[in-house]
Amino acid sequence: MSAILELQGVTKAYDQYTVVDDFNLNVSPGELRCLLGPNGAGKTTTMDLITGRQKMTSGKVIFDGRNISGMTEHRIVQQGIGRKFQIPAVFKDLSVRDNLQVALTNTTNPFMNMIEFGRGGGRARLQEVVELVGLQKRLDELGGNLSHGETQWLEIGMVLTQNPKLLLMDEPTAGMTEQETQKTSEIFNRLKGEHTLIVVEHDMTFVREIADIITLMHLGKTLAEGPMSEVENDPKVREVYLGTEGITDAA
Amino acid sequence: MQKANLYHDKRAQWAVYAIFFGVLALLPVWMGDDPFTLNQYARYGVFGILALSVSLVWGFGGILSLGQGIAFGMAAYGMAATMQMQYQDPVNDPIPSFMLTNELTALPTVWEPFWNTSVGLLLSMGIPVVFFTIFGILIFQARLAGAFVAIMTLAMLGAWYNMAYDMQPFTAGFNGISPPNAFHAFGVEVDPYSSMIYWVSLGVLAALTVATKLLLQSKFGTIIQAIRDDAERARFLGYNVAFYQVVVFALGGLIAALGGMVWVIIVQYVSPTALEIFFSITIVIWAAVGGRMSLFGAIFGAIFINAAQSYVGDEFQATWFIILGTIFIVVVRFLPKGLAGLFEYGISFVPNPLPAQRQSIGAGPTK
Repeated sequence: MSAILELQGVTKAYDQYTVVDDFNLNVSPGELRCLLGPNGAGKTTTMDLITGRQKMTSGKVIFDGRNISGMTEHRIVQQGIGRKFQIPAVFKDLSVRDNLQVALTNTTNPFMNMIEFGRGGGRARLQEVVELVGLQKRLDELGGNLSHGETQWLEIGMVLTQNPKLLLMDEPTAGMTEQETQKTSEIFNRLKGEHTLIVVEHDMTFVREIADIITLMHLGKTLAEGPMSEVENDPKVREVYLGTEGITDAA
Repeated sequence: MQKANLYHDKRAQWAVYAIFFGVLALLPVWMGDDPFTLNQYARYGVFGILALSVSLVWGFGGILSLGQGIAFGMAAYGMAATMQMQYQDPVNDPIPSFMLTNELTALPTVWEPFWNTSVGLLLSMGIPVVFFTIFGILIFQARLAGAFVAIMTLAMLGAWYNMAYDMQPFTAGFNGISPPNAFHAFGVEVDPYSSMIYWVSLGVLAALTVATKLLLQSKFGTIIQAIRDDAERARFLGYNVAFYQVVVFALGGLIAALGGMVWVIIVQYVSPTALEIFFSITIVIWAAVGGRMSLFGAIFGAIFINAAQSYVGDEFQATWFIILGTIFIVVVRFLPKGLAGLFEYGISFVPNPLPAQRQSIGAGPTK
């Protein structure tokens, strides 16, 4: 099966310090890939490079058969890549409903949107997303008044509204209670198959629940790749997490 | 779930607009037509227009522009040139007298188009919009925000002030241009001391307010508020943030430009004071005091502060700016949403008598 996302020799260097070093990645359609690694391994930077938030020093990103390296951020999003940030970002002074409305991009042209008064298509999609992330009762609340977990779900919902082919999720369960994490993993398992997902996560219980294949990064390179059972028994991995009982504990 | 605050009910908002502008439109009928009062009130209308532009650009677009005076001043000079050329005669008296005293022997090329009133009006409106578009592209493509935008707009305003001041043969410098006759177009003369000027000013204010309100209720309006809250998030939803900001900035320029044109019809005079930095900052204070996140609040703030200055300011002439500054500090510190925010809080205790509004998704607010 041909990959939906392909990173070829992606490198990001600041002066002498190389954050992402000749990194290669192949993700198949419908797969849920977890990106793991200690702090500073280059996980978030990799996401920045895929989405154009940072410019890569060298390398290529091929998405859905197109070279997207060097495109502006909004153009990359329009190709079908959605992103949830590490620090949850929603529009604090807008209601949950308006947050989702903004995420529903029938058109991104400012002049077309001047004659759009919420009667356009996509309402069925919004309703679907609201139910999926369970915010039906919070539609009139301001984004800034939501609890931490709800904020995370709203942002996930906003990204989902766009129905992207590829979803990048940076620590979606950070700061969530156990129950909230449970609910999130249910959401993710439902998304699998229909969407391709790349998830950066530290919570190993969560990773175990959702991941198909794990890519373990260390110092900007791939250290190990494969199913959970394989990766955690890899001797190289044990070495990197020296002094611990393997990656399970490192979380 | 609680019923939505009446303050946020669109139907109630439109009703308030209808009543506000309706009552103001009838004002000359009740108070008779004292020409000086009407001229004074027409000026308040222009201040309202300026506050409206700041509310759109800053309150909703999140762009703190201290340079609204650029569009205001440019349009004011354009309008003054148009009115001046209405007075000049192509054959016997083709050159305005201030140019003659500055030893010009021919009408400068930039003044030529203003022989034609329609072209003059178009230029007065169009040049500021074109300028704000180009200036906006420079600012927002570079992803400048917050204080940097404020500083750049302020510096640009200062540059235009100096230009108007220094280009004496073209702008009459410090003295300014005072067209001798009232503005007339399409067979109508707009006497600046009559109920007509009042209605022109109020009409432009009302039309611009309605247009801006509609703009904000469109999806475009929601998107610019989203960009104000978190530009990065909006960008990663696929929006070209700079494009939206340039459009908002240019529209704010258009509104301020229309204000500048009406202003010159009212006062029959323009000078570099229209481009003074202090004036542009004052506009921001009006909007902040009234409530920048409410069009109505911003307009009210402009009228309220100017009325206070006219009636109270006379007694405290020397200390007026200290009073204004104090009001500003108190509002910024304790009422970040201005008087409109106070009103929003107050009315939240009043039960909303209107039935729930239809919403795009979800059942909408219920009882």
